[in-house]
Amino acid sequence: MADVRDIMELERPPTPEITRETILGDKTKKRTSVGPKVPKRPEGMHREVFALLYNDNKDAPPLFPSDTIGNNGYKQTKIKLGMRKPRKWVWMPFTNPARTDNATFHHWRRPSDEPKEYPFAKFNKKVEIRTYTDHEYQQHLKCEGWTKEETDHMMDLAHRFDLRFLMMADRYDTERFSKRSVEDIKERYYKICGVLAKLNGEKKIYTYDGDHERRRKEQLKKLYDRKPEQIEEEQFLLGELKKIEARKKERERKTQDLQKLISQADSQNETPRKTDKKLPKKKISNPSRPSRVDTNHIFQVIESAGIKFPDFKNSGVSLRSQRMKLPANVGQKKSKGVEQILQEMGLELNPTPSEEICQHFNELRSDMVLLIEIKAALSTCEYELQSLRHQYEALNPGKSLSIPPQLLSSADGEGKISTGEIIDVVGSPGTPSNT
Amino acid sequence: MSGGMLYGGDEIGALVFDPGHHSLRVGYAQEDTPKAEIPAVVGVASDDVKTEPEIKPEENNVSSTPSSNKYYIDTTFLHLPKPNMELHSYMKDGMIENWDLFEQILDYSYEKIIQSESHFHPVLFSESPWNQRQKREKLTELMFEKYKVPAFFLVKNAALAAFANGRATALVIDSGATHTSAVPVLDGYVITNAVVKSPLGGDLLVLRAREMLESIGVDLTPAALIASKEVIREKEKPKFTKKKFNFQPTNSWMTYMVKRTVQDFQQTVLQVSENPYDEKVAMNIPAVQYEFPTGYHQDFGPERFKLAEGLFDHPMLGAGYIASTSAGMCDVDIRPALYSSVVLTGGNSLVQGFSDRLSRDLSSRTPGSMRLKMIAANGTVERRFGAWVGGSILASIGTFQQMWVSAQEYQECGKAQIDRKCP
Ligand SMILES: Nc1ncnc2c1ncn2[C@@H]1O[C@H](COP(=O)(O)OP(=O)(O)O)[C@@H](O)[C@H]1O
Repeated sequence: MADVRDIMELERPPTPEITRETILGDKTKKRTSVGPKVPKRPEGMHREVFALLYNDNKDAPPLFPSDTIGNNGYKQTKIKLGMRKPRKWVWMPFTNPARTDNATFHHWRRPSDEPKEYPFAKFNKKVEIRTYTDHEYQQHLKCEGWTKEETDHMMDLAHRFDLRFLMMADRYDTERFSKRSVEDIKERYYKICGVLAKLNGEKKIYTYDGDHERRRKEQLKKLYDRKPEQIEEEQFLLGELKKIEARKKERERKTQDLQKLISQADSQNETPRKTDKKLPKKKISNPSRPSRVDTNHIFQVIESAGIKFPDFKNSGVSLRSQRMKLPANVGQKKSKGVEQILQEMGLELNPTPSEEICQHFNELRSDMVLLIEIKAALSTCEYELQSLRHQYEALNPGKSLSIPPQLLSSADGEGKISTGEIIDVVGSPGTPSNT
Repeated sequence: MSGGMLYGGDEIGALVFDPGHHSLRVGYAQEDTPKAEIPAVVGVASDDVKTEPEIKPEENNVSSTPSSNKYYIDTTFLHLPKPNMELHSYMKDGMIENWDLFEQILDYSYEKIIQSESHFHPVLFSESPWNQRQKREKLTELMFEKYKVPAFFLVKNAALAAFANGRATALVIDSGATHTSAVPVLDGYVITNAVVKSPLGGDLLVLRAREMLESIGVDLTPAALIASKEVIREKEKPKFTKKKFNFQPTNSWMTYMVKRTVQDFQQTVLQVSENPYDEKVAMNIPAVQYEFPTGYHQDFGPERFKLAEGLFDHPMLGAGYIASTSAGMCDVDIRPALYSSVVLTGGNSLVQGFSDRLSRDLSSRTPGSMRLKMIAANGTVERRFGAWVGGSILASIGTFQQMWVSAQEYQECGKAQIDRKCP
């Protein structure tokens, strides 16, 4: 304990001093003198070294276990040897009640000990095994494939081996009867038990499904008999399966993220186009459909769909132009992109911040960012699509994968596509959701 | 007895006999080692030859009535050549074959080793897992009728070896003189149908070693025939003088003595390599020097491994193979239990490196999902006397005392009793 405390650098409770009082267990005198001086171990000194230091509080450790009770000290106490006459041991006969033949054996015992029942006899436990009469057998227990003699032999074995069915099968009298499997024997035995139990009017009847057992063992055997190569192969396949599953999960997550992105775009465009609303819903209803989108870009995009302008409502007095400032978390690349589009559209970079302008301008720029992000996502998807097509063609030489035109965005029209259209393309009914 | 319950033992003065091809182990139950290990050969000499002056046969041997042959038993008497003394083994295939000679050995054991009357002591015998019913009954009859034992019991030696190693369920690999066997034991019962046995044992090693030594021209004159020898340099021709006898030692005696000589060589020099024998690897392991009784000595290098390899490299009979075959013949449900306690016993398993190699061979055959654990007692005594020690433990356990076939039971039900009571 103390060591643990030391290691944990916990305060050590004052070590109880070993004094005569404590040894004697003299509880009337309370130990009050412990508190003050337990010197602390200097920083950096090993606990073992410290323990060796001389310390006034510690008694020298006793070399002998000494018993100093009374005033005599241990010197006076003498071990009392040879004070009593040793009791005799005699080679005595005994009978063992666990035996049925009353044979006598001999062992050493003290005659002074009361003769009692042989102490090991109580360990003589036997398994209860049902018996049947001839009549019962003829009436209820006949079974195809089993003669009465063989049944008797089987029950005798059950008795001899305390229902160790494996041993019963091993020692089966194969000279008189044909060989039986463990399951055969069990089946027969439990059948008999069941019938006898029913005759006795017992409620609980156990049944044994031999076929099931046989199948189970067959399977187990196959499992054990696999060769190292097979096991290796299995391990390999299991590893592959795991990888595939991980990939699938990753993809599903990305699809969901993409869906989130789309629904976000939708909700931002809710006001202008109500009809789009049904599209994301439809997509969300089957999110588990496998998706081939596999890009990190999309993932990144999700983090910041659009621009989140800080809410100035509750933050006291501020200039309205402040609300138009792009928040710091919009990356340089994006703000450059926004600027570019604004220029293309011939809009001012810093319009007069009237209430209305401010709001629309912010919304506009937010949409622009979303547009940029979706464009990026689209191009990665397309890239993915192309590379998959190349893969496919490499794996199936001679075949070519035709990609439905809806999936391909026309490169030349890119500049003019409005936000709304892109979203339409992504979510149009003909588009497989695995885009 | 009052304290007996503390440890579950109750000693009733039983004797334990463990007959093997190499030797018979005899002693009192509850002791850690047998009182004596008697070689499993008996010297028989017809009586018309005058006895040697320096021995007093009347004391040493017991004459049997029919042909007044003289019998020589135990190392001290066997190792001295006597005219017309032919040596015979009473064992065959792990079972007692020659009952007359075996009785001689039993007489000797009671008289010289136990030094007490047979009717005082219950007797526990070990037997090989494939012992035949008729032999078991014969032994029972012999013990009750001739030796008037108060109680008798027979246990398969593999089960005893498992007990000695603290297991009731185990796959026992017993490598003795004439054979190596893999025996599954379940709850103290031997699964007889799954016992696998191979004739690759200590005697095979001795045979191979002898062939090898003879091929390089080593003189194998046994120590018993050598009067004096000189110290010589390595590989020099030995200089020794033979003892003078005015008769020719018999062939069987010579064969036996040479075998003992080679056996010593085998025990000190041979080693099983950890991986299948590879001359190149074996070359790099330091050689071991061995001096023969004649004084001739030389280093043995790769031969040590090459000879011992015979125990393992056989595709069907190698120790690892029979072990896995045996386990494979058992019910699938108990295979994991068997693999998780593989008990190694028998004198021949003491050949250096035996357990490591077996463990290696077996682990390559263990189904992947199972755990392999080898249990091999470290002491030579525990390994050589595994079955005997198990018998010693069993016969002195309080709860075992109800198992004995008593003389009363024998009187009532006859010898057939043994098959029912001793599974
Ligand atoms: N220390 C040892 N090193 C190598 N082999 C040994 C050793 N001790 C005994 N043996 C070998 O073990 C064999 C005897 O084994 P054992 O189990 O007694 O046989 P069995 O049960 O047939 O009597 C002999 O071949 C002997 O050479």
